[in-house]
Amino acid sequence: MNCPFESQEGSALLLAYSSRKLDAQAVAPLEQHLESCAVCRDFVRGQSAVWNALDLWEAAPVSADFDRRLYQRIEQQVSWWDMLVGPFRPAIRHALPLAAAAGVVIMAGILLDRPSAAPAVADTYGAQVEVLQPDQVEHALAEVEMLDQFNHLMRSDPADSNPKM
Amino acid sequence: MDERVNRNMGAAAAALDYDAELMLRVKEGDGASFNVLLDKYRSSVIHFLYRMIQNHAVAEELAQEVFLRVYRSRGTYEPTAKFTTWLFRIATHLALNSLRDGRNERSQERLDDNSDDLPARQVSDRHPTIEATLVYQARLEEVRTAIAALPQKQRAAVLMHKYEEMEYSQIAKVLTCSESAVKSLLFRAYETLRARLAHMA
Repeated sequence: MNCPFESQEGSALLLAYSSRKLDAQAVAPLEQHLESCAVCRDFVRGQSAVWNALDLWEAAPVSADFDRRLYQRIEQQVSWWDMLVGPFRPAIRHALPLAAAAGVVIMAGILLDRPSAAPAVADTYGAQVEVLQPDQVEHALAEVEMLDQFNHLMRSDPADSNPKM
Repeated sequence: MDERVNRNMGAAAAALDYDAELMLRVKEGDGASFNVLLDKYRSSVIHFLYRMIQNHAVAEELAQEVFLRVYRSRGTYEPTAKFTTWLFRIATHLALNSLRDGRNERSQERLDDNSDDLPARQVSDRHPTIEATLVYQARLEEVRTAIAALPQKQRAAVLMHKYEEMEYSQIAKVLTCSESAVKSLLFRAYETLRARLAHMA
């Protein structure tokens, strides 16, 4: 038998032996090993001491009114919940699948509606461009014409005015 | 159809464990089954929490919360694991939260004064001498301090292994870790305890 102390499985075996939880079949080979292995023997001795020490610690007895307090809390919660939901419970049970189905339909409607919204916005812009573009061009041309006339006047003004001076 | 589902679930639960079947009855509105479960596990849950928290009042308060949660969850209960795995998962979760929140600070201060928490019968049944009582109390104090000094997860693992006699696989499910991690946790914990308590042999 390989020294169990060297592997995790082996350590678990030693722990099980120390805590008197090892299968009867596994006890004999381990005890044979313990006779020749001081490391494992020390480990088992130490762990047995720990196990016995832990046995000292008994928990305190449970309070006599533990159940009464618990059922009181349960009753409070149940009555509160029943007051709210109790009268509607059969209706809720039947309405819940319907509500879920309605929710799915609404969600599907929203999702299906969403893609059509984007092109609509694009169309509006398109229409705006088509309607406004000729006006803008017309205005721009009128302004260019006006500027041209203004420039022409500015250029001709000094020539006309100088001889007068 | 509901009856057939219930019957199938009941059969699955029975195959899993009798407690799960009781819990399924609680789910169907059988309060008596809840009482059976409470009777069966009241002490072990309180004792586990007491050893985790080391304060009797807080342990009982948390145990109340554990059973309250069990009762509240009855409607959604599914017997996917052993009932005790579920029960101790709730208990461990509450204990670790309580330790994290420092709700047990009072108890840590009271480690020196353990007179309230001692089971009276331990000393009274055997009519021990004052000296024997003092020795017992000193040794018990050493054990409690050694356990309290363990990291929380190691502590939970040791308490479940030693006092609740749970298998590695079940402790692993309660602590939501691998079986190998539990073995490692336990090995380290018991080694720490050996270093502290071996002289008590």
